Amino acid sequence: MTRLQLVDSEPRDDGPFSAGTPLPRRLPPGRHGIPANLVTEHQRLRLIAAMGEMLAEHGYAGVTTTHVSERAGVSTSTFYKHFGNLWDCVLAAYVATADRLCERIEAACAAAEPPLSGLAVGIEAGLAFVAAEPAAAQLICAPAPLEATAIAAARRLLIARLAGMLRRSRGGEAGEAPSGLDERLIDASLAFICARVGAGEVERLAELGPELTALLDRPRRAAA
Amino acid sequence: MRPEACAAAGEALQVETDARALTPDATVRQGEMEGALHVVGEVGYRAASVRAVLEYSGAHRRQFYEHFDSLEDCFAQAYEAWIEQLGVSLLEAAVGAVGWRESVQAGIVRLFEFVVERPTIARALFLEVQVAGGAALAKHEEATERLGAALDSVRGEIAADEQPPEATAFFVVGGIEAAICDVLAEGNPNRIWDALPELMHLTVGSYLGNEAAEQAFEEAKGR
Repeated sequence: MTRLQLVDSEPRDDGPFSAGTPLPRRLPPGRHGIPANLVTEHQRLRLIAAMGEMLAEHGYAGVTTTHVSERAGVSTSTFYKHFGNLWDCVLAAYVATADRLCERIEAACAAAEPPLSGLAVGIEAGLAFVAAEPAAAQLICAPAPLEATAIAAARRLLIARLAGMLRRSRGGEAGEAPSGLDERLIDASLAFICARVGAGEVERLAELGPELTALLDRPRRAAA
Repeated sequence: MRPEACAAAGEALQVETDARALTPDATVRQGEMEGALHVVGEVGYRAASVRAVLEYSGAHRRQFYEHFDSLEDCFAQAYEAWIEQLGVSLLEAAVGAVGWRESVQAGIVRLFEFVVERPTIARALFLEVQVAGGAALAKHEEATERLGAALDSVRGEIAADEQPPEATAFFVVGGIEAAICDVLAEGNPNRIWDALPELMHLTVGSYLGNEAAEQAFEEAKGR
């Protein structure tokens, strides 16, 4: 299956579309030879990307479907062809961002050399993701509002996935700690990251890796 | 916990909550503020309206606009008053216990009692404040810092080369608040009690390591 990607470049005018080519954020005008189903999927991806950006700009209190549609370059009626309401689009943005974060961490851990701690590598990869996409990261780290009930469920899934990675990073050294402790540690980590991003410390995120690693490790470590 | 901080906070609570000292106008104003938190906790910040606040509080629109510039203003002022009172209440509970670990548990228990008894207000204070942003969110950050400072009081008992990371208090308070948000979003506030042992492990372990954490976990389980 062709997986669409959006790239920040100008529309190409050097020939017809070929499958597998990353599409620019704005499709070329006129006849571009891109199949209708990919145009539709492209609209959906633009809306999802726009949702993260508009949430960062207007917050949950102010964001509207009009903001998101305008940023994505589609009409509001097109928005509603893709999503039933604002929260459906937020959920899609949440899930897409959570998937990207988990893929990034898993890829970094898989590529890590044995002397490096899986935990440290995973945290470094997670923080690098947040630094590169602070708006998207703020979406997945902050608690979801009341109206967005499905996002709360998606958040629980993300916490469970990240807690699973945390457990795997310890190998056989999990010890006798309570079963839900890792979920609590991930919750605390997301709150920590969310606050740092909210405080405008995106540039400093990479420096926080060792501190976050220590915070995640300490409750299981024996006191001196 | 620092006793002097708790004593000062306790006096502040008395001033804030002494209903006999309130004029009729101040009583109406308090009703409007509670109404704002209740409505926001019930329908969410985006869907809240002055009309709903007036229906809840029984106040008149003219009175409302004599007290507040807007619903946002009312929510921000209500938020400040309630989060201050809640913070004071937690510190009071903590100062009544002997020892840091016991104080921590007493504070968390008082917080959970509030969440279970007033889930609608709790949704406004913990979940919807993230939607509201602005002045209310700034007050939330201040309250977080105060609770964090109270937790950090145990640092004096930890050897210099064993000090936990600087952000420990913030990390722990964030973890506790996330657990509260989770049960509130799920609509099952009573489930917060299930999280108490794990949160005690997280809090105590983040400062004192695994052995003290396991003790705290077992004590909380047996509560």
